[in-house]
Order: sequence, then structure tokens, then C-alpha cells
Amino acid sequence: MDTGSLGIYIFLFIALYFEVFLLMTFLEKRPEKPTKVLPTRYPSVCILVPCYNEEQTIIATLASLLALDYPKEQLSIMVVDDGSTDNTAAILTPFIAQHPQITYHYKQNGGKYTALNFGITHTTAELVGCLDADSFVAPDALMEMVKQFERDKDVYALTPAMKVFHPKNIVEMMQAVEYTFGIFYKKMFDTLSAITVVPGPFSIYRRDVFDKIGLFRRAHNTEDMEIAFRMHAHHLKIGMAHNAHVYTTVPKTMPSLIKQRTRWSQGYLQNSLTEYRYMYFNPRYGNFGLLILPFGITSLVSGLYTAGYAIYRFFFIGWTKLSEPLVTGIPPHVPVVHFEWFYVNTSMLNFLVVVALCTTLTTILLGQRIAQQKLPLPWIMYYLLFFGFIAPFWLVRAAWGTIRGAESKWK
Amino acid sequence: MRLTRYLIALGITVAIFATAFYIASRIDAQRIADIQAAEDQLSVDLLSEQTQFELLGNLDCTSIGQQPILSDEVNSLAERVSTAEQNLGSDNPQVIALKKQYSLLEIRDYVLLQQETQKCPNLHPVYILYFYSNNGDCPDCSQAGDVLTYLRQTYPSLRVYAFDYHLDLSALQTLIKLRKVTGPLPAYVIDSKQPVYGFKTLPEMEKLLPLKLLATSTASTTRQ
Repeated sequence: MDTGSLGIYIFLFIALYFEVFLLMTFLEKRPEKPTKVLPTRYPSVCILVPCYNEEQTIIATLASLLALDYPKEQLSIMVVDDGSTDNTAAILTPFIAQHPQITYHYKQNGGKYTALNFGITHTTAELVGCLDADSFVAPDALMEMVKQFERDKDVYALTPAMKVFHPKNIVEMMQAVEYTFGIFYKKMFDTLSAITVVPGPFSIYRRDVFDKIGLFRRAHNTEDMEIAFRMHAHHLKIGMAHNAHVYTTVPKTMPSLIKQRTRWSQGYLQNSLTEYRYMYFNPRYGNFGLLILPFGITSLVSGLYTAGYAIYRFFFIGWTKLSEPLVTGIPPHVPVVHFEWFYVNTSMLNFLVVVALCTTLTTILLGQRIAQQKLPLPWIMYYLLFFGFIAPFWLVRAAWGTIRGAESKWK
Repeated sequence: MRLTRYLIALGITVAIFATAFYIASRIDAQRIADIQAAEDQLSVDLLSEQTQFELLGNLDCTSIGQQPILSDEVNSLAERVSTAEQNLGSDNPQVIALKKQYSLLEIRDYVLLQQETQKCPNLHPVYILYFYSNNGDCPDCSQAGDVLTYLRQTYPSLRVYAFDYHLDLSALQTLIKLRKVTGPLPAYVIDSKQPVYGFKTLPEMEKLLPLKLLATSTASTTRQ
């Protein structure tokens, strides 16, 4: 076995260990199915909608919030325009005039976290939610969240089950599979009390969170990740309401996907390796410190390593094959192919890759079950075939950005 | 957080790895058995041919000349031994044992060929004794093997006997001494001529071979 393969074996072992751990977690505590039980009381809720040049989607986002199945007197919607330079304000003005539930605030551009903080300091609601202006909620999403807040008094923030809004091209379809995969992961992280991010699309906080730990920070343009880390640092529980469904628009092109994921990955590296590095392998932070944080870094490193090794092998073999006629004088010819079982590659590595593939498929299927949706088979095939080849691009950029100490870009 | 869950997950992961290792080992063992069976068959066929040759003597050279001899079997076995060597490593004891047995069969076939040629002047076999090494002292051996494989495909009647120069086998070391093969590797002995050393490209090899005696068609392969 060469040194390169040894690395692959080590990372496969870690990846399989993690998958096994999560599947065991699933078997120990299966996610509950939705019920028709209503909450005993309806706390006041304010949904913040930070926006910056979102003229294309803002009205549909607000319409989905207005359609929420929740007492209107207990639900307010606050649009915080972070200095849009497009027609957002012009489009919103007549719409808001018809809907007194919505308030509109314009402020100078300062970044998403400043828009959120503006909203938090201008509301007194018991529950404060956030919805990105490119996302849409299912009518029962808020009700499901309120029910879970009522059931679990210890939970301080809830994230929904995020799905991709109307995937049309392959890039979006792959992300639809990834988000479904993510629903399984996040639910298991919830069981383990180790959720790593409270994302923008319809996460809801108890107001106390901000009184206890302060407002959002810039946090390398990943304020939703940093606040999750800070909540873990203060032992404030984050949960997932898997029956609350939210649909979000995702990058439609490869460059925009790479840019978005670079920001996420770099944010993870910069937040976890600087201010919160003391949490790594620290039993005081439970599964978050002992398993999820170290695995997050390992998955980034293994992605880079596997991509590097694959590229090296590809070019080494490619160069050998290309240079063969020049060196040996053998004219190009079709090599003899053996179809006997004897020549089938049955190495241990291949068996392990098959096992890893099976566990990945299992998590996708479980994610579908939890999310109550069914993905078309071609989408799963696109994900399995191509996604692994794209990920190294943002991993390299994120690693390089972290080493340079650069800030990632929003758009 | 429960330590038990961490340990059980670790146990299951180790079990998955152990199972993968066990299945891969079983299949490799089956491969070894497969090669062993092929070697046994080749041994029987060689003995049969040798016996037939001794029975007929030089009375029926036409019959000997029409024998397809055993080149196909030798080539097929060479391919399998090479695959096993790649999968299991050239230092694997089972691979070494198979290579020894295979080398012995090659030498026996070579000796028989020599005897047949001496007794039957109508036979004009073309053969190459090819000496390679997997010990890191022959960087060109892989390419030399590719050239010989291609030659074998192009000229099916060409017989290539490939030997690991460093194989600890007395019969092989005797052959090396007899043919005065000293190095560097790769080394070739073509039709009882003096050894030729160093990597030879396809055109260079074709210049060294009596191409008129080799008929072209499609056939089996030989690797180092």
C-alpha cells in the first residue's frame, strides 16, 4: 500500500465512523411525525426579513409569511432594507400599504448582521425569527416551530428543514439532494445537541438568547454560524423543527455556488479555529466539541486530500499513457480487456468505497423520509457523480483564504 | 453525550473494515488457488508434451511441429501471475511461491523447446528470455514489459519467457549463469544469442528479432 492510499484509508475510516455514529443516533431516537396538536398558547413572534437588492423575490417571500397559519395579532413582519440600490423600496411601498402586519425600515448598508441587529433592537416579541429575502415558508412552518418551543423549554433556537425552491438545472438539482442529505445530518446533530449553524432561512430564537449572549457579529460573513458557536459556548441548546419546511433559492451557476460555499467553508474555518478553538475535543461542550467540530475540520482536510490524490493519480496515469508511444515506440492501440472475474479489482479499498456509498444513499433516503419528500433518481445520480468533483474548488479557496486571513465575499 | 455510543460506533467501523479485509483476502486466496490450478494444469501439459516427444523421438517431427505447444497457457498464466503480483505485492510469500513455480515451468518449457529444435531442424521457434526486476533497480522494466506484450500480441508465435532476475530459485540462477546474463536490467536473450542489455523500444526490438520467422495474427499476451 502506498502512502497516498494509506491517507485515503484513514479518511475513509473517519468518514465511516461518523456515518455509523449518526445512523446509530437515528436508530436510538427517530424523528417524530407531524401531529395536529395545537400549542396551548401563541407567543408573540417577529420575523425579520433583512434584504439587499432583492427586488426579484421579496414580494413572494413576504407573501409566504403572510400566508403563515398563525394568529395575525401575534405575528409581525419587519423588513430591514440594508441600503438596497435597486427597486426594492419602490416595489415594497404599495405592498406594505396593504398589509399592516409588515413594517419597513431602510438603513445604510452595513452587512446582513447589522440589519438583523437593527430588527432585534426594534422588537419586543418573545420569539424573533429571521427569513432571508430569497426564501419561502410553508404555511404551517411557524406553528410547528412554536409547538416545538413549547415542548422543549430548554431549546433557545430552532432551525427548520430547508429544501431547495423549484430546482431547474443540474446545479440546483445537486443542491436539492445535498439539502435533503443535510436535513438528516441536522436532525441527528439536533439529537446530539450539536447543530453547527442557525441558518438565515427561517431560524427562530427565543428573545432571551440575545439578552444572554449579545447580538449578531460580522463573524467573517457567517453570522449564523458564529451565533451557533456562541450559543454552544454558553450551553444554550439549538434544535431542529424537521416538520417546519422552508424553501430557499440556491445558486444557479457553478461560479456562484463555489462563491457561496467558499464563504461557508471559510467562515467555518475562521470561526472555529480562532475564537472558538478551545471547544475542540473539549468534553465540556459534549458531542459538539468531541465529535462534530473535529469531524467538520477532518471532512474539509479529507476533501482536499482526496481531490489532490485523485488529481495526482489522474495526471500520473494520464502522463504515463500519453508518453508511452513516445518512450516505447508502441503505436496507439486498443488494449486487451479481460472480462474474467480474476481481473476484477476486488481490493479492500473498493469494498470500503461501496460501503461508504451505501451509507451515503441511506442518509439521503432517511433525509427524504424526515423531509417528507421524494427526490427523482437522476438528481441523486447527478449529486453522486459530480458534486465530489466541484467541492474541492471551494475547499481550496476557503483554505487559501483562511491561510491568508482574507475575508470571503457575500456576492 | 454517551461514551458507550462512541465505543460501539468504533466497534462497528472496525468490524466493517475487518469484513472488507476478510472478503478481499478470501478473493485474493481464490485468485492464488486459481493460479495454482493453472500451474498444475500447465505442469501436466508440459509433462505430457515431454513424454510425447520422448515417445516419438525424432521420428515424427511433423507431428511435433504441428503442436500448438503451450504458449497460450504460458501467456495466460504470466498475465495472472503479473496481476497477482500487482494486487498482493511482489514481496508477498504466496506470490513469490507462484512465481517460482511459474519460472520453473517456463524453464522446463524452454528446455523442451531446445530439445525439440535440436532434433527437428524444420522447427524455427523464436524466443526471448527476458530478465526483469521488481527491486527498484530496473526503472525501465515496466516499459520493457509493455513492448514485449505488444510484440506478443503482434507475433503470436513469439515465445517470451519472463524471469524475475533476483528470484531465489536455483534453476533460474543456473539459467542466468549459463546464458551469462550479468546486467544491467532489463536484459534480453534472443534465440541463443548473446544477452542484450538496457531498455529497447519497439523498433529496436523488431530489428533484433528474425521477423521473417514470425507470422502475424492476433493472440495472447505476455507481461513482465
